[in-house]
Amino acid sequence: MTATGLPRLRAVAGAEWIKFRSVRSVPAVLLATTLVLLLGAGLVSAGFRSGWSTMTAAERAAFDPTYTSLRGIDLAQLLVGALGVQTMAGEYAAGQIRTTFAATPQRGLVLAGKALVLGSVVWGLSTAACLTAFLLGQSLLGSPARHAGLGDPGVSRAVAGGGLYLLLVGLLGLALGALLRRTAAALAALFGLLLVLPLVVGMLPGAAGDRIAVYLPAAAGSQLWTVARGADHALGPWQGGGVFLLYVAAGAAAALVVLRRRDA
Amino acid sequence: MPTLPSPLPVRSPLSGLSPVRAGCRRAAAVLASEWIKLRSLRSLPAVLLGAAVFSVGLAVLVCSDYQARWAGFDPRRRAAFQPVDTNLGYLQLAVLFFGALGALAMTSEYGSGLVRSTFAATPQRGRVLAAKTALVGAVSLPAATALCTVAFLAGQSRLAAPVPRAGLGDPGALRSVLGGALYLALTALFGLFLGVLVRSTPVALSALFGIYLVLPVMVNSLPHDALWHHTVPYLPSNLGAALWHTRTTGLAAPGPALLGLTVYVLLLGAAALAQVRSRDA
Amino acid sequence: MIEACGLSKAYGDTIAVDGLDFRVEPGLVTGFLGPNGAGKSTTMRMILGLDRPTSGSVTVGGSGYRGKVWPLREVGALLDARAVHPGRSGHNHLHSLAAANGIARRRVDEVLEQVGLTAVARRRVGGYSLGMAQRLGIAAALLGDPGVLLLDEPVNGLDPDGILWIRTLMRSLAAEGRTVLVSSHLMSEMALTAHHLLVIGRGRLLADTSLADLIARHSADRVEVRSPDAVRLAAVLRAHGGEVTGAVDGTLTVAGLGSARIGELAAGHGWVLHQLRDLTASLEEAYFRLTQDAVSYRAAVAA
Repeated sequence: MTATGLPRLRAVAGAEWIKFRSVRSVPAVLLATTLVLLLGAGLVSAGFRSGWSTMTAAERAAFDPTYTSLRGIDLAQLLVGALGVQTMAGEYAAGQIRTTFAATPQRGLVLAGKALVLGSVVWGLSTAACLTAFLLGQSLLGSPARHAGLGDPGVSRAVAGGGLYLLLVGLLGLALGALLRRTAAALAALFGLLLVLPLVVGMLPGAAGDRIAVYLPAAAGSQLWTVARGADHALGPWQGGGVFLLYVAAGAAAALVVLRRRDA
Repeated sequence: MPTLPSPLPVRSPLSGLSPVRAGCRRAAAVLASEWIKLRSLRSLPAVLLGAAVFSVGLAVLVCSDYQARWAGFDPRRRAAFQPVDTNLGYLQLAVLFFGALGALAMTSEYGSGLVRSTFAATPQRGRVLAAKTALVGAVSLPAATALCTVAFLAGQSRLAAPVPRAGLGDPGALRSVLGGALYLALTALFGLFLGVLVRSTPVALSALFGIYLVLPVMVNSLPHDALWHHTVPYLPSNLGAALWHTRTTGLAAPGPALLGLTVYVLLLGAAALAQVRSRDA
Repeated sequence: MIEACGLSKAYGDTIAVDGLDFRVEPGLVTGFLGPNGAGKSTTMRMILGLDRPTSGSVTVGGSGYRGKVWPLREVGALLDARAVHPGRSGHNHLHSLAAANGIARRRVDEVLEQVGLTAVARRRVGGYSLGMAQRLGIAAALLGDPGVLLLDEPVNGLDPDGILWIRTLMRSLAAEGRTVLVSSHLMSEMALTAHHLLVIGRGRLLADTSLADLIARHSADRVEVRSPDAVRLAAVLRAHGGEVTGAVDGTLTVAGLGSARIGELAAGHGWVLHQLRDLTASLEEAYFRLTQDAVSYRAAVAA
């Protein structure tokens, strides 16, 4: 990038911001993401509170109150991922992409601008929503169930990790949208990677499956917002987050190559 | 230079027909139109083919893996093995293909704007929805039955003594296979009505994944107390699981499960009908 | 015949169509004019039963569209040529519409032939050019051999041959006694095609009149005069209250004085006139006069 690179990126990000905020469905999706995070925290935490007396000592020992109050992320990732996909695939569907590339022929810059805008909105909103969900969940768990405070070891990292995880899901969706160009195909690929793959691996018996399973995108990424160590082979939070980041980076690199080579 | 339109060859004049027969003629015309639309889309056979390859492949893969690792299993794990349930595990995921099939039948029309031509050609919008429902059902039920049967036979063919295996004649096996097929077909209709309600492909697909894949995993991990037993088994995915599992704990019985799923589809269908009639296209 | 009675449509606080009353008569090409956002497309969607009026009603051939059993045999419409699934062939698109209205399959091939798409009928619509998509939309409108035709911007994307073709087609459809309502932004096109005009602005009806009448009523009475004594004549005309422009090469344009008065004044001074003729406004000029107050988005021009 030349000396004009930074102002150019600022201009592109500005243009992408105007497009992003003026799509009518965006506020609705962001609102739904927040609701789903809070609703997930409320329902799952309330479920554990009411069922606490039926849990065995081992189950209680393995219980992770932070992870429990952030379970809404499982649903929120669908919305954030769809938002990422639609940010790119939506332009292809409408033919808008030709106008966009005519205005900014540096296609890598367009992708970077979109990532910047989508990323900052998703990251800011989901970090705030995860913190609120955590506080809501902990107040619901209360006694008798075990609950956590932000000062407990690993807890504030997990709450911030929830926002980071959703940010990476959004960016993965953006990369897949750029790569596949069609909404339905990109969504299927994203959800297949995050949700279907772990179930398929889980159906296979044997330890080999377990060893692979922890490196799958969602399992690795969810370590970011988990406090307790789960399975024997589980990665630590930053290793897991790093593995997930590698998936996103690989997707972004592929998208970049394809965007530059292919006709719009 | 323009050729003037020639007099219209009318295939089915309605004058002189009884109201009932005229109504049938009209319904048949809508059905024919929707059938042409359905069969002229490449995404329909692509989704069905994808579902078949995925399901049969996964059934064969899982059964082969059990066969290969059987020697290393401890007695408790061997006793817990259910050849039918293990074989049919792919249904948790195949259901998404069928849901997407139903949803796309509607959202693709909204996405392209074609729905305005459709409703201009047939302003009786309830009939358009009825025709789509009939066709999605008529395509997905036989396809799902064939898929479930083939996936079952292919999966079982990978199992051999000492691993227990099942045949279609074994108690509960045929019920599980047909139950699975019904679950898939009902989900296709669920997807269709969901598509009418949300009118957008990404929203419909996200909702399907949320309802059928994420929600069950989320709530099944909760402690199984009294509240759990009164709510969680009635999720669509758990009602479906009750249909295709030979042995379940804590889920509804197959009969009530089928009834429950049907009620969900009917409620969603009623909401879709109300929406399609009242909203501007 | 299309009849609207107090037809109104509001989207939230925005009033798109505001109490329209009009009749579109058979046997004529009726032009539907108005600036962008005036409510033309909303009105057409309400005629087709796609959007429900907030109040008032509109009927086609005496009954509401949504009550019609085989609507395409009575009403053919071109709304948005791109509103076709891109993965389907043109033939299959028309075939599904024909089947929905019990129209014989043979008719699909006929209209494809008529609009000149036979060669590409089996190709995916996604690969069509705008002009081809437009022709497919016109084919869909003609499919049921309807007595009423609604065409929203039909010349959009057509080449000059196509424009001539659609112009002749609309005129001949009207000559057969059909009702033809056509909207367009292109004034020159309307001037050549339409017999009657409906002009709307901000959702309200501004004029419901014949083409000739609209032009006559909204022309400024201007006269063109050519004379070897143009300079002296101009001074006299100004003295009698005329607004005079020009004088170079002996041609004057005069407003505010009739041609008779100008002739008398010239004769009174004994000046020779080489030409004396009333200038009529173009449809475009008349339209601008009419809609000047009604243009929703003229801030950019005014600024």
